[in-house]
Amino acid sequence: MAQDLPVDPDTLRERVRGKYREVALDPGASFHFHTGRGLASRLGYEAGEVDALPDRAVESFAGVGNPFSLRRLAPGEKVVDVGSGGGFDSFIAAGQVGPGGQVVGIDMTAEMLDKSRQTATALGLGHVQFRDGLAEAIPVEDTWADVVISNGVINLCADKQAVFAEIFRVLRPGGRLQFADIANGLPVPAGALRDIDLWTG
Amino acid sequence: MLQDSGFTNVVIGGAVDTFGGAKGQDKARTFDVYGYAFMARRPPESPAR
Repeated sequence: MAQDLPVDPDTLRERVRGKYREVALDPGASFHFHTGRGLASRLGYEAGEVDALPDRAVESFAGVGNPFSLRRLAPGEKVVDVGSGGGFDSFIAAGQVGPGGQVVGIDMTAEMLDKSRQTATALGLGHVQFRDGLAEAIPVEDTWADVVISNGVINLCADKQAVFAEIFRVLRPGGRLQFADIANGLPVPAGALRDIDLWTG
Repeated sequence: MLQDSGFTNVVIGGAVDTFGGAKGQDKARTFDVYGYAFMARRPPESPAR
């Protein structure tokens, strides 16, 4: 490891892939987190935007907040969605930026990529694409993005500094990072931080 | 950490009870875990790294 990380990044990635493979293939199963339309409502997404999407675009949503709550995206913006999962936030972003904008979703779980790509095709969204990649190595050129969004993903990355450095790289100067994630108000003991089971469940 | 990475104008939204009523609620309560929205900016004059 490049630095003193609490858990091994590769091991953590495999655990995360396993968890979100389940969410992609069996979104109605019981998880330690909420999913789907009920979660979107809980997190304050605009009902009209969610209602306009088909079930397959929403059912595997497993975010932890609303990256659009502090600022709505502007028409024409170019957006990268880090950890796009089943594509829910990418599809919301696609509606906000309109056909003159572009959205690139990045995910490392094959089943999520399959799902989001099929949904984009079914919806006829030519300005949305999904790429296989890691948050620590985003497959997007330097300064391409006006906005980077992410939802409940960075907390699942062992090397958060590397993730933020990558997001900084792909953003244009003056561009914005809008993300949602969890934060703890009470300290987590060092032993618990090294317990990889606690990171994913 | 955002500022350490070069971001400025950091804004944090209000807490959301992400895990309320889910199986993970008890564990979340143990460490006072909630969801938040964050916004930050890459400075307009920032050079490539």
